[in-house]
Amino acid sequence: MNRYPRWPIHLALIMASFVMLVPFYWVAKTSVSGENIYAYPPSIIPTRVQPFFYVDVWYAIPFARYFLNSLAVSVIAVIANVIFNAMAGYALTHGFRGKNVVLMLFLSCMMVPFQATIIPAYLITGKLGLLDSWLGLALPQCSTIICIFIFKASFDAVPRSLIDAARIDGLPEWRIIWHIMMPLSTAAIATNVILAFIWSWNNFLWPLIMTRSADMQTLPLGLARFLSYQEDTTGALYAFCIMVLAPGLLLFLLAQKEFIRGLTSGATKG
Amino acid sequence: MKRWLLNRFVLVPGAIALVALLWNIYVATHDHGHITGRVVDLAGKPVADASVVLWVYNFTTYQEHSHVKTDDAGVFRFMNNPSHRIQLSAEKPGVGRSERIPVFLYFRAEDFDLATPLKLAPSG
Repeated sequence: MNRYPRWPIHLALIMASFVMLVPFYWVAKTSVSGENIYAYPPSIIPTRVQPFFYVDVWYAIPFARYFLNSLAVSVIAVIANVIFNAMAGYALTHGFRGKNVVLMLFLSCMMVPFQATIIPAYLITGKLGLLDSWLGLALPQCSTIICIFIFKASFDAVPRSLIDAARIDGLPEWRIIWHIMMPLSTAAIATNVILAFIWSWNNFLWPLIMTRSADMQTLPLGLARFLSYQEDTTGALYAFCIMVLAPGLLLFLLAQKEFIRGLTSGATKG
Repeated sequence: MKRWLLNRFVLVPGAIALVALLWNIYVATHDHGHITGRVVDLAGKPVADASVVLWVYNFTTYQEHSHVKTDDAGVFRFMNNPSHRIQLSAEKPGVGRSERIPVFLYFRAEDFDLATPLKLAPSG
């Protein structure tokens, strides 16, 4: 039997959850009521709830086109992340000459901010002829080092004997990854999907630099454009925020169990 | 196959796609831009031959879009509303003018019947 009461922990967690959720509630409330956030006394319950700010946003900018761009770029980034990171993670589970150097290189690269490499990234994308395209927008996010380590941690947990048995049966390496490692690493895949999707979905700087036509802009750029159009943006601005946030939130809620498991897998390994 | 189809990663996006499809079908069948309503005087009697103005929103302000006249029953019909955010006003010399009534529609050019009539009152 537990010696300590659990209610203080629950109370602390409820208070922490409250602090985390209040901004979301405030954004959602303003998006359906348009009530000014600076009003005093602040109103907690919205009055005159209506959905017309969402309609305003839909027609003020080409929302469907921006949504399609964001979705296409995120899907490309997610698929590329799962494939490339799984391959890299699998390679790092093996012993090879220079492995420690590669690991150190990966870790040191994590400390270099994207702003420092954005000009070479732009020049490379330009040389490949991918400027102003979905593939070009997704290119810098097609593999992320954190997600490689998530796959590595997950693959490390798979018994070595399983891989050896597959090799004896004559399976090539790519089929070992696809048929053995991946089905045993659903949590790592979910974590990769969520992180890659959210990072790609929220990216602002790279699309700002590399898109040339208005038709190729993504939702974060659309938000900036929307702000430049509208003067009285209280309700519509918050509605836009909800519309941009919703897909990422939905994906997280769908896969949160696997996401948490993926982030913590390998954390307790000896 | 069943395991791949009957899970939350397929069912939730599938349900959203279905709702979006149904909504788009509804929009496609109700976006003719027809706006109808009535104009009455202070006593609630229909006003014939009143001039009704449709104002449409253009990001920052409302612009006059078109005029129609009411029939003998005080009914007006706009057949060409292009917007989702409009205002309606009516006027007849000798009877008065109405306030501008804001109307918010769920989508652009939605067919709409104004429930509350535009009420003319002597100005000034």
